[in-house]
Amino acid sequence: MAEKNNKVLKKNSNPWLEAWRRLLKSKIGVAGMAIIVLLLLVAIFAPMLAPYDPYEQNILSRYKSPSAQHILGTDEMGRDILSRIIYGSRISLQVGLFAVLMALVIGVGLGLIAGYYGGKLDMIIMRFMDIMLAFPSILLAIGIVAILGPQLKNAMLAIGIINIPRFARIIRSSIISIKESEYISAAKALGAGDARIIFKHLLPNAMAPLIVQTTLSIATAILEAAALSFLGLGAQPPSPEWGAMLSDARSSLQKAPWVATFPGLAIIFGVLGFNLLGDGLRDALDPKMKNV
Amino acid sequence: MKKIILTTFILLVLMSVVVTGAMAQQQGGTLVFGRGGDSVGLDPIQVTDGESFKVTQQIYDTLVDYTPGTTEVEPALATDWEVSDDGLTWTFHLREGVQFHDGTPFNAEAVKFNFDRWRLEDNPYHIGGEFTYYSYMFQGFPGIIQEVNVVDDYTIEFVLSEKQAPFLNNLAMVPFGIASPTAVKKYGEDYFKHPVGTGAYVLDEWRQGDRVILKANENYWRERAYLDEIVFRSIPDNSARFMELQSGTIDMMDGVSPEDVESVNSNDQLQLSLRPSMNVGYFAMNFNFEPFDNVKVRKAFNYAIDKQAIIDAFYAGLAEPAKNPMPPSIWGYNDDIEAYDYNPEKAKELLTEAGYEDGFEFDLWYLPVPRPYIPQGKFIAQAIQSYLSDIGVTANLVTYDWSTYLDKTEHQEAPTYMLGWTGDNGDPDNFLYVLLDKTNSNNAYVSEELHDILVEAQKTMDHEKRVELYNQAQEIIHEDAPWVPLVHSTPPIALKSNVKNYIPNPTGTEKLHRVWLEN
Repeated sequence: MAEKNNKVLKKNSNPWLEAWRRLLKSKIGVAGMAIIVLLLLVAIFAPMLAPYDPYEQNILSRYKSPSAQHILGTDEMGRDILSRIIYGSRISLQVGLFAVLMALVIGVGLGLIAGYYGGKLDMIIMRFMDIMLAFPSILLAIGIVAILGPQLKNAMLAIGIINIPRFARIIRSSIISIKESEYISAAKALGAGDARIIFKHLLPNAMAPLIVQTTLSIATAILEAAALSFLGLGAQPPSPEWGAMLSDARSSLQKAPWVATFPGLAIIFGVLGFNLLGDGLRDALDPKMKNV
Repeated sequence: MKKIILTTFILLVLMSVVVTGAMAQQQGGTLVFGRGGDSVGLDPIQVTDGESFKVTQQIYDTLVDYTPGTTEVEPALATDWEVSDDGLTWTFHLREGVQFHDGTPFNAEAVKFNFDRWRLEDNPYHIGGEFTYYSYMFQGFPGIIQEVNVVDDYTIEFVLSEKQAPFLNNLAMVPFGIASPTAVKKYGEDYFKHPVGTGAYVLDEWRQGDRVILKANENYWRERAYLDEIVFRSIPDNSARFMELQSGTIDMMDGVSPEDVESVNSNDQLQLSLRPSMNVGYFAMNFNFEPFDNVKVRKAFNYAIDKQAIIDAFYAGLAEPAKNPMPPSIWGYNDDIEAYDYNPEKAKELLTEAGYEDGFEFDLWYLPVPRPYIPQGKFIAQAIQSYLSDIGVTANLVTYDWSTYLDKTEHQEAPTYMLGWTGDNGDPDNFLYVLLDKTNSNNAYVSEELHDILVEAQKTMDHEKRVELYNQAQEIIHEDAPWVPLVHSTPPIALKSNVKNYIPNPTGTEKLHRVWLEN
C-alpha cells in the first residue's frame, strides 16, 4: 500500500519516501510485510505448492495424523489439510482485500462529503454511521448475511458494509481539520473548484491515517470472514475457508486435534501479518515520530 | 448326605443371587440427562419433537404402552380392552385407584375430557396449539374417532367411523398422554408450562432453554421410581456435551458423535447403549424441479452413492444401508427388493439415457443439526456431493437454520434435501403413509396407485393382507425412486457406568422410572 501511494505522490512529496524508509527500519513493520508477502506468494502459487487437490475426498482415510504422506494430516472428509490451508489463503486474502476496498471507497466517499460540505448532509451521513457503529460489528454482519443468504460473496459484502463507518469517521475528522488550513483558503481564493480541492489538496493530506486503518481493517476482515464461515454463514462446504475448516473440526477436537489446530494457526498468522504491518505503518507515518 | 450338601449349596447360591439381585437396585439419587435442545412444550399433544416427548413421557401415561425396548403394546392406564366384530367399536377397561399429580381422580370422564379436547374443534379447551399428532394419526378433527362414550366410571368406548388397523399402536404413542382435566381447565393456553399427568415423575421446575427438573411421584400407580430426581439439561453442542459426560457433570447423553463412540468404548467409566434401529435417513428429490421429474435421473442418483462407505465413515459402522423407506425392524418390510447397488457406471448410463450426459447443477440441502438418523449432515452431504461429481453432476450445498429448514422442505421448496424419520409406533403406516403418500410427501411425489394401497392397508384388519399390501407399496416406491434411502441407523447413547437398567426404546424416547444409580 505504502509503495503504491509513494509512486502516485512522488512528485510533490518526499514525506512518503521518508515514511517508507522509517517503515523499513521498524522490525515490526518488516515482519508484517514478510508475512504478507509470504501469504501472497502462497495464494498466487497455490496450485504449484499444494501437494493434493484440496477437494479430493477419501472418506475411508479420515483423521489421519500428520505424516510424510500428509504433512498436516487429513480432515473429516479425508482431505489433505495442508493443501486446503494453501488454497484457503486465496479465499481469506480475497475477502480481506475486496471487503476492505469496498469499505474504503464507500467510507471515504461518504466521509469526504460529510466533512467537506458539513451542515445537514454531514448530520445525516454521520448519524447514519453512528447507528451502524452502535451494533456490535459481527452481529450486524450476521444480520446482513441472514438477509442475503449464507454465501461467501454475501459475507464479503457484509464485512465491507460493517467497515464503512470507521473509514467515514477517520476521513471526515481529517478533512474537517485540514479544510480550515490557509492553503485551502488560498486554493479557494484562486478559484479552485470543489473537486480540485478535494482530490488535489484534501485527500492526499488525509492519507496517512487511512493507510493505517486500511491495513488493520484487512486483519479484522479476515477474522470476521473466518467467524462468519465458522458460524456457517460464509463459505459453504466444501470450500477450504479457514474458519469453516475450524468449525468442521470441532466434532473431532478430542480425537484429531490437528484438524482444528492448523487452520487456527493459519488464521492467527494471516491476522498477525496485517496487524504488525499496520502498527509499523502507524509509527512510520506519524509526523511526531519524524525526527526519532 | 453329599447330595443334601450339594442341594443346600445350590440353594444357597441361588438365594444369594436372588437376594443380591433384589438388593442391587438402589433407591434415590439424581440423574442428569444431557441432550441437544430444550423441550418445545410439555403438553404432549401440542408438540412433535423428540426433546419434548423425552420429558412428557415421564410425566404422563397413555391408555396402553409399549413394552420396554419394543413396539409391542401392553396395558397401562387401561387394563384390558375388546373390539367389536366390525372393528369399529373399541371398549377399554380402565385402571382403578389412579390419581393425577394434583389429586384429581383418573376415570372414564377424565379420558373422555382429553379425547374431546383433542378431537373437537369447538371444545373450549381445544386451544394452545394445533393438536398436530391427533390429526396425523386420526385424520383430522374430529377424524375417525366419531364418538367417545363413558360406559361407567372405569369403562370407556370409542366408536370409529372407519376401521383403523394400527389404532391400538397409535393410542400408545407419547402424544396421547392423559392430562388432568382440572389442570387443563385451570391453566388454559399456559397448560404447556404446567403439565399434570399420572406418570412416575412430577414437574418440579422448567427453566426454559436450560433445564427441566422432575421429582419422583410418591403415589405412582406402578412401583415408585428408583430415582428421586431427573434433570434434563440442554447442551446443544455434541462435543461440549460429551466433555461434560467425561468430566462427570452429566450422567448420560444422547446424540453421541460417531467420532466419540470409540472413546466411550475404551473408557471404563462410561458405557454405550444402542437404541434399536427404527428410523430412516434419506436424500429426497423434488418432482417439481427439473430434472428430478425424470425417473432415470432419480435412479441414477440411487446408483451413484456408496452407502456402505458413508456408514463406515460417518456412523462408526452403527447403521445399515437402506433399500426401502422403512426399516427392517418393522413388520411388512419387503426384503425381496433388490437394492440399487453402488455402480457409478450404471448411473452415468442412466443419465445419458435421460439426456443429461453433460451433467447438470442443482442445490442440495443438508441438515443443519445432528439427528439420530443423520448425525453429521454437512459431512454426509459433502460425501454425496463428491459421489455425484463422479457422475458429472454438480451439487451446491445449501442449508438453513433448523426450523426454517423444516418449514421450507414441508412447503416443497427444496430441490433435493436430506431428512429422516424415527418411527412412533412400529407400524409400516407410520413410515410409508406419513412420508410418501401423496397427501404428505414433501418432494411432490404423487402416486395414485400407492395412495390407494396405503389407504386400503389402513382399513384392513387382517395382518397377512396388510403385509402383502405394504410389500406392494414398497415395490412401487422402489420403481418410482422418489428418494435415495440412505441408512437405518442405530443411535448410540452414552451413560456413566453406574447408570443401570436403561432400556432404550426404538420409538426414540422411553420412560425412565426403572433406571437406577449405583453408588
